[in-house]
Amino acid sequence: MEKMLREIRERVLKNIEEAKASSSLEQIRVGALGKKGELTGLLRGMGKLPPEERPKMGQLVNDVRAALEAKLEERAAELAEREKQARLAAETIDVTLPGPERGAGSLHPMNIVLSKMVDIFVGMGYEVVDGPEVEYDHYNFELLNVPKNHPARDAQDTFYVEDNIVLRSQTSPVQARVMTTRKPPIRIISPGRVYRADEADATHSPVFHQMEGLVIDENITMGDLKGTLDEFARQMLGQGIQTRFRPSFFPFTEPSAEVDLTCANCKGEGCRMCKGTGWIEVLGAGMVNPKVLEMCGIDSTKYSGFAFGMGVERMTLLKYNIPNLRYLYENDLRFLTQYR
Amino acid sequence: MKVPMKWLKEYVDINMSAEDYASRMVMTGTGVEGVEKTGAQFDKVVVGYVVSCVDHPNSDHLHICMVDVGEEEPIQIVCGAPNVHAGMRVAAALDGAHLPGGKIKKGKMRGEVSMGMLCSGPELDVPAGLYPHIGDEGIIEIFEDVKPGTDVKEVFGLGDDIVDFEILANRPDCLSVWGLARESSAVLDEHFVMPEIAVEEAGKGTFDDYAKVEVLDDENCPRYCARVITDVKIGPSPKWMREYLYGAGVRPINNIVDITNFVMLETGHPMHAFDLSKVKEQTIVVRRAKPGEHLVTLDGKEHVLDESMLVIADKENATGLAGIMGGEESEIVDDTASVLFECAAFERANNRITARKLGVRTESSGRFEKGVCPETTMEALDRACMLVNMLECGKVVPGAYDHYPNPKAPVEIEASVKRICRRIGVDVPGETMEDILNRLYIDTTLVGEDTLHCEIPAFRLDMDGEADISEEVLRMYGYDHIPSTLMNAVTMPGFRDEKTAFADRVKAALVGMGLFEVLNYSFISPKWIEKLNLAEGDPRRKTVTLRNPLGEDTSVMRTTLVPSMLNTVAGNMNRGNMDGKLFELSRVFVPAEKAGDLPTEKTALCVSAFGEGVDFYTVKNIVVWLLAKFGVTASIEAAGDAYYHPGRKAVLSVDGVKIATLGEIHPDVASAFDIAKRVYVAEVDLDALMPLEKPFYGIKPLPKFPAVSRDIAVVVDECVGAGTMMDAIRKAAAKTLEDVKLFDIYRGDKLGRGRKSVAYAITLRAPDRTLTDEEINATMDKVLKALNTQFGAELRA
Repeated sequence: MEKMLREIRERVLKNIEEAKASSSLEQIRVGALGKKGELTGLLRGMGKLPPEERPKMGQLVNDVRAALEAKLEERAAELAEREKQARLAAETIDVTLPGPERGAGSLHPMNIVLSKMVDIFVGMGYEVVDGPEVEYDHYNFELLNVPKNHPARDAQDTFYVEDNIVLRSQTSPVQARVMTTRKPPIRIISPGRVYRADEADATHSPVFHQMEGLVIDENITMGDLKGTLDEFARQMLGQGIQTRFRPSFFPFTEPSAEVDLTCANCKGEGCRMCKGTGWIEVLGAGMVNPKVLEMCGIDSTKYSGFAFGMGVERMTLLKYNIPNLRYLYENDLRFLTQYR
Repeated sequence: MKVPMKWLKEYVDINMSAEDYASRMVMTGTGVEGVEKTGAQFDKVVVGYVVSCVDHPNSDHLHICMVDVGEEEPIQIVCGAPNVHAGMRVAAALDGAHLPGGKIKKGKMRGEVSMGMLCSGPELDVPAGLYPHIGDEGIIEIFEDVKPGTDVKEVFGLGDDIVDFEILANRPDCLSVWGLARESSAVLDEHFVMPEIAVEEAGKGTFDDYAKVEVLDDENCPRYCARVITDVKIGPSPKWMREYLYGAGVRPINNIVDITNFVMLETGHPMHAFDLSKVKEQTIVVRRAKPGEHLVTLDGKEHVLDESMLVIADKENATGLAGIMGGEESEIVDDTASVLFECAAFERANNRITARKLGVRTESSGRFEKGVCPETTMEALDRACMLVNMLECGKVVPGAYDHYPNPKAPVEIEASVKRICRRIGVDVPGETMEDILNRLYIDTTLVGEDTLHCEIPAFRLDMDGEADISEEVLRMYGYDHIPSTLMNAVTMPGFRDEKTAFADRVKAALVGMGLFEVLNYSFISPKWIEKLNLAEGDPRRKTVTLRNPLGEDTSVMRTTLVPSMLNTVAGNMNRGNMDGKLFELSRVFVPAEKAGDLPTEKTALCVSAFGEGVDFYTVKNIVVWLLAKFGVTASIEAAGDAYYHPGRKAVLSVDGVKIATLGEIHPDVASAFDIAKRVYVAEVDLDALMPLEKPFYGIKPLPKFPAVSRDIAVVVDECVGAGTMMDAIRKAAAKTLEDVKLFDIYRGDKLGRGRKSVAYAITLRAPDRTLTDEEINATMDKVLKALNTQFGAELRA
């Protein structure tokens, strides 16, 4: 019996060793240890042994069973690992194959830039205020110190709807509306569409967008205007971008300034884009003309303020190095999809 | 305004290059467009002396000339001009010269060597009048005894630096050489020296013996000055004057006309010269035009005038448009013998309106529009007479006419040093301010520590308050002194207004769904609205219309975004972009009921989709998902405008309020927009959607009890909407319904024509218990009953 046990042990161990798949291991297990297995059969046959031998043989049988089980487990793990490796190897794919089409869309680049501009000023505590695009002459011009037949109106050829109704030529009428209805402190920006009777070309469009800002409070200085625009320029176009103020004239402000920004293309070294000057004219700004404050019912001896305005399309061309303003209104998908 | 540097330097010392000077001016507020030299259009053209001139043996019109160009030996030049002859001084372009027409190279002409070219006026692009006889036929003859080899630019007075100033609207005084010299003197801290004006009068009698002036409209003609010149000798003006005029961009004509132009450029006062003999009864009347009065201006154009227009007339007819352009009748001609010089101040607005109405804009009208100082009118007139003396082209009759009934009171401003510093954010000492202002000819005294007493000179029409003083101080002190500070003020919350924020959320949702934003003009062609085939009384046919559009294509404000979108789609298809999903979020304009009221501006959204794999449900889903993003569920019905496909359009509404319309564009409309493929469009009324937005309060608790799924298939008539039935299922199953999905639609002979079977998977679940079979069956019965009563649905066998 002992001999038989040894023989089973050796043979089954060998079979386990030679098994090639998890499924054959199971067959081996059933053949040896199953209900009708060899070892189980031997155990059953123990009754025929003399009682004094039984414990010893029982021990032996159990030893063989334990050895076989341990071996089975070990081999099963080995085979499972091998089979997993084989499966993984078989699952190799061509990672260079392109995936499905990109699903993302995008905002129009002008609105990407406008949104960024708005973010910067909202972050500095400005409220966004909206106003009508078809506007009274009174708000678009008169309250901004541009009376009828003033030559300053020539600078902005305006579309008329009626004698006293225009397509706003600037977003400043929003400022006039705010000044006539609110009390300082005022800190607003007014982004939006404006209209001027210019034929479309590489730098002009009869419809474009502006963003203007207005601050009215006690003790506001021109230095505060410069500081604000410096911060804007830095956030908009990056570190190292500075502003340069040049004297100018706008009926709405006094003193007035044209504001140049460091050419982002050459970082001020001078290049083709800035015509070698290192500066690009981007903004108009100034201290709100006390006449305007008074016309809008704000005490100009107590309050002062600054205002600034800029073209969003121009900023977009600068930011993305777009050579022609027409691109922005052609809506060519080959252009638009570059922004997704 | 173009100004020759030489002319400026007569009145102020400028000891730097024109470019450096220009940048100093720019940084103090006088714009400069650029600096260029006169005569830059050519080089290497010298005075030549034609030593000999013989006919070319192989040509019937060419000549072979030996020309002394200042070199050791004369050079041979072949010339075809009929007026070339020996003993003549000419303008000779040498080998390698650049002319406006191209480069000159030595070569052979019909076998004869030619080392250059003899030039005509047009070949050098110099105008007749710059030099006598330039305008004649053939090559230029130089009459002066100039050494051969001399650069012709010296002879013609070319080569000076011309600064092209861009004068701001508030500084009309700088539209003159004197004004700019004065401004330059302040900027450079140099002296401005104006010529002493002294007129030498001669001849018998006084002004009144020769002419009479009647000003009938003081308001529009605040000042009128006139003088008479007799014994006029018309001829060319001297070289220096021609050179200055040419440099300033004005064509020299003759001495009298040149004087009026010269004075306008130098003083900023437009002038006019009348041939006095052509003025009826030698009387000038300044009056409003009679209605329908005719006038032919100097440029030969005939105008019909109205009563608002100020004219210069004689006793009978209007002879000129005041301050705009003179008339043909009293024009200066070669035999003009006596002249009346006019120098006046005309009112801005009237001048501007008249010039606009008639479409005539001149140097003169441009100046009056911006403002001409009435104080210095007489000075300018005398400057003209002084030039008549200098040019010896006539006798200035003693006395002048001067009508100036309401002299302008001088402006005085009291300003506070402290307030100015606070405004500009720069600490400028009071004494420095005083000095700066005095340099600008603003007579200023610092009283005590803080008060500046300023007397504004008459020519500064723009200054009337402390803010103006602050600007003068700052621009001269230097804008580069402005510090960069952030305001020391109360903190305020920054935010987007609700509408903008909502629009941004809409856009973000659409971008997330793969759409691209487009931008279109707000004005379109009325024809585009026609193309939509809207019903006769459709409100979208009523537009806000521009009075002065750029063209018909951009003449009406949009009442719908659809036409622009279709145009955008067509444009993209033309360029080969055959697939796309686009949106535009913009305003549409509804005209006001009453004239004088503003139109209503609504926020609209238009979506389009076209190309492979795109169908009705693509745009439908975009809209449904967009609405879902805002917590809005809309009911949908098959309806919509006629520009949609009759069987593929839908209207989405919430509680009876229309939110969106969508569908496939009708092929007729598509083809009217040159679109040959199917296009799907959706329009969303964002103003209607915005108030429906449901804030997201929080989550539903996750289920603890199991769900049950039941499938049903019902047979209905073809016309019953599968989606409509889903709504009915939702309603009938009510509380325990978790989800309903459509999973099959079947049509077949067994069902009969016009019938379909629709199958739904219905999931039921209760939050607080496991549903019992009885409950489930009861719910399913309710569902079936509802489908049966509402749609005649029968359970499919």
